[in-house]
This record gives sequence, structure tokens and C-alpha cells, in this order.
Amino acid sequence: MPIVKSPPTSRALARAWLDIGTQSVGGGSSTLFLIRRILVERLGWITVREFTEAWALSQLSPGIHLVALAGLLGRTIAGSRGVIVSVAGMMVPAAIITAIATALLGEVARHPLTIAGLSGIGPVAGGMTIGLALTMARPVLQRGRWAVLDVAVIVAALGILLAGAAQTIVVIFAAGAFGAALLGRERPTSSDAPMS
Amino acid sequence: MWEQLQLLAIFLKSSALAVGGLASLPLLRADLVPRYVTDAGIVQALAIGRLAPGPNGLYIVSLGYIVAGWTGALYALIGASLAPLVMLPATALARRWLLSAWFGGLVRGVSLATAGLLLATGATIVAGSGTQIWQLALVAVTVVVTVHGKLHPAAMIVVGAAVGLAFGR
Repeated sequence: MPIVKSPPTSRALARAWLDIGTQSVGGGSSTLFLIRRILVERLGWITVREFTEAWALSQLSPGIHLVALAGLLGRTIAGSRGVIVSVAGMMVPAAIITAIATALLGEVARHPLTIAGLSGIGPVAGGMTIGLALTMARPVLQRGRWAVLDVAVIVAALGILLAGAAQTIVVIFAAGAFGAALLGRERPTSSDAPMS
Repeated sequence: MWEQLQLLAIFLKSSALAVGGLASLPLLRADLVPRYVTDAGIVQALAIGRLAPGPNGLYIVSLGYIVAGWTGALYALIGASLAPLVMLPATALARRWLLSAWFGGLVRGVSLATAGLLLATGATIVAGSGTQIWQLALVAVTVVVTVHGKLHPAAMIVVGAAVGLAFGR
């Protein structure tokens, strides 16, 4: 028989997500680790099973998966109120800090030292983007003969964008339709989608 | 007013049609460069997104600020927060669809295409950031470190800034 427990107050819930949103730098696994540690292990508002199921569903969401995860967990904890408080608690303070940091960088953007620093950050940002793409493509290597279709989608998207042959949005819609028709041999795994 | 709505639509669309936080980058770049922002602005936003707290997809808020100040940041936040929440009604109303083979294939197709689009976007950012030997070496090291996940992304940004200060003046 399930244990009936009263949902936490909005203030307590907001505080938990504020901690998650502002203590995790760099996103991805560090944020996921904090969500699990705070909501499952420390506060006990979510069971391991609920966390695992919400995480799996969030990997199918558009946009930032962690937002979907916050919404799904918030709904489990406190219904509609939980969704709003959880997503706002994780996103709004972190977004304000991000915008302020952008404003501060803008103030010194023309300083020679900033320009020099950015000349090194540019290659890192580009390298990270390429690295993330390779990480997303890596599961292809474990798919045997079916990998040919997967590689074809990746190469086609790369070539089309570099050649300017079609708009980005067209490539995404076409790949979605192609995937629905030909790539649905198995359910997606978490490693197929980028963690964010 | 029309332009404001267009901006909001751009941020909403980029989040709604991407699978994953950084996956919105190719769509945003296609809509914002060069009309609203340069590739240098994209680089700044990516760097701040890695250094600031929260999901790394929050680079979109930094980009929104660069494009249109606090209003742009707000639009980006709205887009990034609303799009993933489509999962709430979806899991309640169409759970069977979400677990179907064709939907899995759709997500897989979009993810694979996004990998290709991100490769192209990354290459464009690299080309626009400079192609001196030390910069290309930095790209190579960053790709390897990112794929292996050995170093925190924020630390890599700091390393990049330090190398830039040493060689980029």
C-alpha cells in the first residue's frame, strides 16, 4: 500500500529547485546528480523508481531535457503547483545570473584582454559543439549493419547545412519523418539524446 | 511589436524542434546570424552558458540578452521553459505513442540530424574564431576532452581563456 504523504509547501519546493539550479555549473550530469541527491536522497519527495521513469520520459522531450524532468518531478510532488514552482525555481534564478554575467561581459567586451581571452574561448566553444555532436553520434557505432542508415542521416544533415542546400528546420523535419518511417526498430535509449 | 513577436517565435521554435539543450543552436544560428547577432556573440553565449549555473541549454538566455537585452533574455527563458513542458500533457494523454517504435524512430532521426547540424555549426564557429595553429590545437584538445568527459566544461572555458590571453595578444 502506498505511503500517503502531504506535498511540501511551495516555499520548500522552490528552495530545493533553487539549490539545484544555482549549485550546478555546466548543466548536464552535474544538474542531474544534484536533482537526485536533493529530491530523492535528502528530501525523500521522489522515489528512485519515479525519478528513473521521469528521467527516461524527459529524454524524449523537445528542448532542455532537465526542464521536462523538473516539470514531471514537480507534478509528481505537488501537482500543477509543483510544475510551476519546480520549473521556475530551477530556471529563473539561474537565468538571471546568466543574463547578468552576459551584461558584465558586454561591458568589457572591447577591452584588449577580453578580446584575447575570447580568441581562445572561440575554439573551445567550437570544439565543445563538435565534441557534443560526436557524443550524440557515438551510439551509432554499436548498431551493427543498421548504422549505415544512422550515418547517412548525420552526413546528410552535415552536408546540407554546410552547402546551404536547405534550411535547418527542413532538415530536422525531414530527419524526423525519415526516422519515424525507417529508424523505429527499437525504443530510443537515453544515450541517444544529449543530456542538457 | 511585430519584431518582438518574431523574436519570441524564434526562441520558442528553436526549443520546440530540438532534442536537448544545445541542440537548439543550429536553428537559432540559422534565424539570428547575421541579422541579430554575429558568430562572436554566439561564442560569448556558449561560454557563459557553460560557466553560469543551471542547465547548459541556458546559453539561450545569454544569447537572448545579447540580441535584445533583458527582453530578449525573457523571451529566451520563456521559449526554453515552455517547449519541454509539452511532455506533461503528452505523458498523460499519449503515453502509448511516446513508447511506440515510430515515435522512438522520430526522436532518433531528429537526434542524428542534430548531431550532423551541430558538427556543421561547430565547424563554422571554429572557422570564424580564427585558424592559427594554437587555436586549431585548442579545438582538437577540446573535442577529445568533451568526447571523453574528462574535464568539467566550465574548466575548459577557463583553459581556453587562459590560452587566449597567452597567445592571442
